[in-house]
Amino acid sequence: MSNSVISVVSRFLEEYTTSTTNKLKLVDAYLLYILLTGALQFLYCLLVGTFPFNSFLSGFISCVGAFILGVCLRIQINPQNKGDFLSVSPERAFADFLFAHTVLHLVVINFIG
Amino acid sequence: MYCSSFNFISASRSMARAGLLCLVVLVLAVGAQALTPTHHLTASDVARLEARLGQPFTDLQSAYFSIVGRSKLGVTVADSDAACQFLKSNLDPTNIESLFYAADASQALSGCEIPVSNETRDLLMAAVSEDSTVSQIYQSVSALSSLGLPLASQEVVGALSARITKEDNVLGIIYALHTAARLSQQAELGGILEEIEDLAARLDDLGGLFLQFEEGLETTALFVSAAYSLSDHMDMEPPLKEDQVIQLVNSIFSKKSWETLAEAFSVASAAAALCNNRFHVPVIVTAQGPATVSHSHPVLQLQVTDVLCQPLSADVVVESASSVASKNVVLSKAPFALRDGVYELNFMESRPASGYYQFAVAVTGDSRLIANHVELKVKVSTEVAITNMDLSVVDKDQSIGTKTTRVDHPSKSKGSFMADSHQNFAMSFQLVDVNSGVELIPHQVFVRLHNQKTGQEVVFVAEPDSKNVYKFELDTADRKSEFDSMSGTYALYLMVGDATLQNPILWNLADVVLKFMDEEAPSAIQSKTLYIPKPEIQHLFREPEKRPSTVVSNTFTALVLSPLLLLLILWFKLGANFANLSLSPSTVLFHIGHAAMLGLMYVYWTYLDMFQTLKYLAIIGSLTFLAGNRMLAQKAVKRLEGK
Repeated sequence: MSNSVISVVSRFLEEYTTSTTNKLKLVDAYLLYILLTGALQFLYCLLVGTFPFNSFLSGFISCVGAFILGVCLRIQINPQNKGDFLSVSPERAFADFLFAHTVLHLVVINFIG
Repeated sequence: MYCSSFNFISASRSMARAGLLCLVVLVLAVGAQALTPTHHLTASDVARLEARLGQPFTDLQSAYFSIVGRSKLGVTVADSDAACQFLKSNLDPTNIESLFYAADASQALSGCEIPVSNETRDLLMAAVSEDSTVSQIYQSVSALSSLGLPLASQEVVGALSARITKEDNVLGIIYALHTAARLSQQAELGGILEEIEDLAARLDDLGGLFLQFEEGLETTALFVSAAYSLSDHMDMEPPLKEDQVIQLVNSIFSKKSWETLAEAFSVASAAAALCNNRFHVPVIVTAQGPATVSHSHPVLQLQVTDVLCQPLSADVVVESASSVASKNVVLSKAPFALRDGVYELNFMESRPASGYYQFAVAVTGDSRLIANHVELKVKVSTEVAITNMDLSVVDKDQSIGTKTTRVDHPSKSKGSFMADSHQNFAMSFQLVDVNSGVELIPHQVFVRLHNQKTGQEVVFVAEPDSKNVYKFELDTADRKSEFDSMSGTYALYLMVGDATLQNPILWNLADVVLKFMDEEAPSAIQSKTLYIPKPEIQHLFREPEKRPSTVVSNTFTALVLSPLLLLLILWFKLGANFANLSLSPSTVLFHIGHAAMLGLMYVYWTYLDMFQTLKYLAIIGSLTFLAGNRMLAQKAVKRLEGK
């Protein structure tokens, strides 16, 4: 059983390293960073408690939001999905990403207290 | 057709008559509840009024009030010559008001003549015209009539009627009424007489008890004296109902001390008018002393007077006297006998039981009397005696009275009684009326036990049974809590009291030794600690939430920032294409703008508020957008070229 899991994982990693473009790998690295930051914040909250709750929420939501926007960007600039996004060029996707982040940051900074 | 209409008319007439009869019955029923004065002057108030008016006068006006006021109260001036001299010396013959005061005051003094010159007469007669105010007309007409000078009544009436329509105030019309009372009866005074009714309509009814003008007491009193003086002059009954007159009496005589002489004078005038007029004389019926009769004082004494406390001679009859409790009529149509100005009735002859009685008294004899049906509450009091007082200690188990001792009032039982938890202490007695032997149920029949050592006392109520025998039982086990389980010798008292008893009783009957089981030491008397300051309450402010130690938060701050390092390493390893970074102005501007926006976020967190941030963001954002747009367009072109 564990054998099959390990083999699946290693196969996945192999496929990943070979068939994803550099650009996408950059975005994936960014996503990993966001994920780790969010997880560490959550861990802190579990250990120490939710005071001040608004700060925890804003930090955590910031990570979650950034992750989602990063995922959107990745989907949109992936050349394999080009068929789904005919009207959206990669530059346009990046511009949307930046604009959405501006709004997210505004809200997060407002809420962080 | 003619017959049928005739029948109809007669039928309607009989219906009208029936209706009228109903109305009359209704009015009589209502009239039976006629008002009686609640406020009136007592003899001391009248004396005070006389003294107020009798103070030495300083000027002509106060002399007028004093002399004329006292004459209305029936008091003659002490030194009339000096008064007359005062009037003559203070008179100003060119002033109408001054002439009025002097003339009317001299009329009240005997043998005082004010010399009058032709100029004076002309001045007074010239004042009677439509151009003078009503008070001026009043003063000149009064002066003319007091000085015995001729005056043209019809001319006065004409001037008054014209002035009344111009000046519609209450005081003016009152002066007009006074003036009309001085004119000859041949003049047409009917129009002015009607003003009384109009003025009466302007009175304010306060709670159904008082009737007065909003201008105040003085105006109301002057109105009463003016209305009656004119009505007497014209021999026509004033259009005031009995209840209205009584309400006026209440208003005028509710004030018992008068600030100004004018006020005192107006009250004296009103009182004199109400005592001496031809139509309405209010009757004041008061009991002399408390309205109480008993065997020692069997006679009920009533004073029947007019508003100035002068006794009236009339027939005073008790229409009915009924007991308040049982509503039995004890006396009916019994006359009072007049003795030394006081009306007396020996009520005890009817042998009433003790209690309260409602008397309906009627004063008749003079058709002018009003408020002559009076309701009085009379108390019949008596003395009580305690009979058959038996004290005993009863064993609970056997219910056999071990010892019954008879005690006679007011002596005390010689032996003391012992009662512990197995025994009950019992008491039975009867309360009788000394004079009639009837059993009484007074309001207060209490049994009091007083512990001499601790000062504790406990009071119980003794209740009568169906045969009117009072019984009291003390169960020591049951009543432990009331005594706080304190054993000891208690003095036993019986207290009997009632409003109708003349001899309330406090009788120390015996000593009772009570023994309680489980005697506890007396608990610290709560009362001592009840009134000392209580411990201070410290206010606990809301404690701030517990924060983790700085070490922990610093560690986690570092931890959270560490993935950034990881990201940079990864990007470097993946080979981020920094070489392709063109240094075109739009790119540079874009990056600077973007960095500025991120910097703005930090500044927003620390210093700014949302509105300022949005303002700056708009500026920086638009620049960044333009630059970014340019840069991305260039990139897109490059990408499409590269394809």
